[in-house]
Amino acid sequence: MKSFFSSCLKRVKADYLEIRYEEVKVVGIHYVGKELEAIGESYGKGGGIRAKSRGGWSFVSFNDLSKLKDYLELATKEAHLIKGEEIKLASLPARNEVISVEVELDPADISLEEKYLLCNRYNKILLSGKEIQTSALRYADIHTTKYFINSEGTYIEQERIDTVLGMRAIARRGDNIQSAHMGIGGVGGYGLVKEKAEQAEETVKRAQDLLDAEPAKGGKYTIIVDPELSGVFAHEAFGHLSEADFLYEDKRLQKIMVLGRVFGPPGLNIIDEPRIKGEGGYYLYDDEGVPSQKTYLIKEGRLSGRLHSRETSAKMGEEITGNARAISYDYPPIVRMSNTYIAAGDKSFEEMIEGVGEGIYVKGFRGGQTNLEMFTFAPEEGYLIKKGRLGKKVRDLNLTGNIFNTLANIEAIGNDLVLFTGPGGCGKGGQSPLPVSTGGPHLEIRDVVVGGKQ
Amino acid sequence: MMKKILEMAAASAEEAELYRVRSKSSEVIFEANRLKSIDSSFEEGIGLRVIKQGKIGFSSSTDLSQSRPLVKAASDSAQFGEKARFHLPPADSTSSVKCYDDSLISLSLEQMVKEGREAINLILKEAPFLHCEGEVAKIEAEISILNTNGLSRSYKKTSYTFSLGAFLAEEGNFLGIGEGEASVKYHDWSSSVAQRILEAFRLTRKKGRISPGRYPVIFTSKAVPLLLQSLKQGINGKVLQKKISPLLGKIGKPVVSSFIDIFDDALFPLALATSPVDGEGIPSRRTPIIEEGVLKNFIYDLQTAGLMGTESTSNGARGYSTLPSPATSNFIVKEGKVPLQEMVKDIKEGIIVDQVIGSGQGNVLMGEFSVNLDLGYKVENGKIKGRVKDVMVSGNSYTMLNNVLALGSESRFIGTTRTPPIYFKEINVAG
Repeated sequence: MKSFFSSCLKRVKADYLEIRYEEVKVVGIHYVGKELEAIGESYGKGGGIRAKSRGGWSFVSFNDLSKLKDYLELATKEAHLIKGEEIKLASLPARNEVISVEVELDPADISLEEKYLLCNRYNKILLSGKEIQTSALRYADIHTTKYFINSEGTYIEQERIDTVLGMRAIARRGDNIQSAHMGIGGVGGYGLVKEKAEQAEETVKRAQDLLDAEPAKGGKYTIIVDPELSGVFAHEAFGHLSEADFLYEDKRLQKIMVLGRVFGPPGLNIIDEPRIKGEGGYYLYDDEGVPSQKTYLIKEGRLSGRLHSRETSAKMGEEITGNARAISYDYPPIVRMSNTYIAAGDKSFEEMIEGVGEGIYVKGFRGGQTNLEMFTFAPEEGYLIKKGRLGKKVRDLNLTGNIFNTLANIEAIGNDLVLFTGPGGCGKGGQSPLPVSTGGPHLEIRDVVVGGKQ
Repeated sequence: MMKKILEMAAASAEEAELYRVRSKSSEVIFEANRLKSIDSSFEEGIGLRVIKQGKIGFSSSTDLSQSRPLVKAASDSAQFGEKARFHLPPADSTSSVKCYDDSLISLSLEQMVKEGREAINLILKEAPFLHCEGEVAKIEAEISILNTNGLSRSYKKTSYTFSLGAFLAEEGNFLGIGEGEASVKYHDWSSSVAQRILEAFRLTRKKGRISPGRYPVIFTSKAVPLLLQSLKQGINGKVLQKKISPLLGKIGKPVVSSFIDIFDDALFPLALATSPVDGEGIPSRRTPIIEEGVLKNFIYDLQTAGLMGTESTSNGARGYSTLPSPATSNFIVKEGKVPLQEMVKDIKEGIIVDQVIGSGQGNVLMGEFSVNLDLGYKVENGKIKGRVKDVMVSGNSYTMLNNVLALGSESRFIGTTRTPPIYFKEINVAG
């Protein structure tokens, strides 16, 4: 591949050129209720070319590799239609790397029948509860080989295997329908999804228990979030705002997001760290060929860094971080998170609960979103806290807050960091889902708004 | 090429179907008020569905020259597949629909750039401190469906989208306004989209305050799809088949306010989801969903219809890499008689919802929603007072659709949903 790509690259001229090419093989199994909605293997191959003229970019994606030469010419031609202020890229030494994957239990060595039987068994468990109406189960193993070559002499070949499993149980009692979800897996082999019957059983129990929960009352609360939600909080309530492409051309926002600004208490550390093996956001090189690295977004409560592409890094004069990622060959790389988490503090969960007079303990994750000032995140379930004890279960919670105030309202940071991955991921700029992990310890946060009837 | 793959597949299966998509798109992208990138894509892919020993098998590929692994994978998967409850449709002569625009094919990149620039310049003339980003895109696709029962259908489809966002970061007061238009046909949207952004921008210059409670509310056309999510799930044949639709057993019964009419209409001229046939080759149609508030139909693809002992409503939606599944096409809420201004005049104290964050995170199936008001306005004594923010609005979309006070007199498409603004009796505000 290398010599073919480099010979094609040599024939065209641009300030900067890169070719990304991917070969993907996916085995997927999808149950909805008793019905097996889909099972089987699919194949995808395709590429994306990025060309830069002095003042603009062009991106061309394709499936037919035999026309690569034409596409390269089109990319350079279209980039030259843009005549703007000069775009600079942070400099980067050329590299040559071939990274092959090593996993225990390569899904390719497991028969489709064995995968089918595993999913069938989990699905039966999901359907086994007394008040369970239906289920949804998605299994996928994805083998990706990515090729990257650019006009600066860098060539990187990266192989990757993802194995993921999502399980949902849906309970019904009359008009009351409730669901619970469990996501597992990440970068790695078949072992990630084996022997998860217990998790399926636990999902069933959560869905059934939600039938007895009452809708939460709207208002302001002190909340304790579990590690799963703590991660979503790190991702939505801060992570996105630290992606430099939102502010690298916005002077007003840069003044607001000045390094050193105090966002939270001194014990608060938020980190983006791609090189954690097994996590969804694991990678060694990003989709611009930049080596990945650990970045502190918040250090001891202060804004201490942000995530960059080569362009945002050059424009802002800050260190390159290797966070330009694309969900696949048909999208250009943009600034994204990887594995983002809040570092552990010193409080135990028990101390935290006891310390909160009145509030809600919220658990599990249904989704989150931000507009860079406000964020929302939705837990799956909650427990009212009364006089330092966990009480009644509540449902239909969606929480919101202001990014600039809420981090400062963190009262306590737990000592129990956990990272979460699984199917699904993050969405930005039309690119979704991108595999990421999020995590954190239990957190106590005051003055969080919960939507609902008063 | 397609015929050969089909023949290969047919050799080991009772029925087989190929679904191929080829598309070409060009997009001009603006960032920080200026042209930033020009993107093109050339995509193709093929999906093969077989019925083998009565069971469904499927595989897909982007490499049309490698047919053997595709046929083998589809055939292999059939041994585990679900029992087929349908036969693939035979050849059918369908009337053509308007889903292709010649003038879009000849539209130049330069023209798209020019229109994007004009829109941004209009905005900056009035509000030079706004940061605009935008995308102008044209797509041309060819979809082919071929099966062993004699169906051989190919059609072309175009779409043109013009979307623009304006952003302002002020300490304690971030603002983002998004507007856009999309259609099969080319049209110069630059000034109308820019004007809508400016109108919203002017309204946000003043602040409104609201205390927690229940208030009358107007959802703009842009916001209405939030409330239709639950209904779209509820009428889905697959959700019905799993017995988790709150609309189970409600055919012929009132489910929303009596002056609401809703259709699913893949024949609507020039709309984004308009096509001559669905993803399985079933001729497109207009299906009444709700008439005078009464539930008329659920939507089905072939397999789900088979399971439910009924017929496909031509709602088998798919890409090349997935099996068909029921989904709405163009979802049309019929407009009413009340202009937006009249609704505003009617409100003593209430709000207008235009953009939210956090939708789809709650129990959508049951109709529950609870979202942060990203862009909304306070109404006092019949006048728009200013922007309200930092609040959550919540409710149940079924309850709200049963408490509609008025439907707006002007509809517009938001993606594939066409709807007027809707005025509701009340919504919960927390904050």
